[in-house]
Amino acid sequence: MDPDASAKAFVEQYYSTFDTNRNNLPCSLSRLRRSWCQHSITTVDSQPSAVNSAMLVFVSGNLQLAGEQHSLKFSQMFHLIPTPQGSYYVLNDIFRLNYA
Amino acid sequence: MDPDALAKAFVEHYYSTFDTNRNGLANLYQEGSMLTFEGQKIQGASNIVAKLTSLPFQQCHHSISTVDCQPSGVNAGMLVFVSGNLQLAGEQHTLKFSQMFHLIPTPQGSYYVLNDIFRLNYA
Repeated sequence: MDPDASAKAFVEQYYSTFDTNRNNLPCSLSRLRRSWCQHSITTVDSQPSAVNSAMLVFVSGNLQLAGEQHSLKFSQMFHLIPTPQGSYYVLNDIFRLNYA
Repeated sequence: MDPDALAKAFVEHYYSTFDTNRNGLANLYQEGSMLTFEGQKIQGASNIVAKLTSLPFQQCHHSISTVDCQPSGVNAGMLVFVSGNLQLAGEQHTLKFSQMFHLIPTPQGSYYVLNDIFRLNYA
């Protein structure tokens, strides 16, 4: 699979898991108080990070929270490392809301 | 120097050089460096600087809102994630941007940019 396709597949899986079952994500994220949220992705960029097929993924989009009329803009980056099983795990994850 | 201070120092240097002398950025990239600029992929220091110097504005100013960094687990590399505002000469309103850098140490004790991904954040 080409890197851009891998990055898009990872992003779709990550955010659909976040939006439907946060308990499968790190413990701190499952404690976020909102009952539901919905990520809509605007851009996905990826580059090889030059070691052992690791990949950098840079995402921007909108986050809609339960009960809120307006969505929040966010940017997030992931550093993905291949696993022996042929998948990826997240080594680095940095998230920021982008305030107007 | 602690990683957060190092990241802030790099960010100040990078954006002040960008805002005053974009050609000076050539020293911060190498042949293996990659820039994704608004989705366009560019490789190599000379191609990257050619792209940055060909942008359709002569003057700009970056003001930085947030800087986050983490060790990248790769040869003492560092991931730096920046968000801020970009003011273009003659424009009344700033543009919001986010950018990430993957910095790798050089033998001389400094850092170069291996990975660089830039996006404007449209409302």
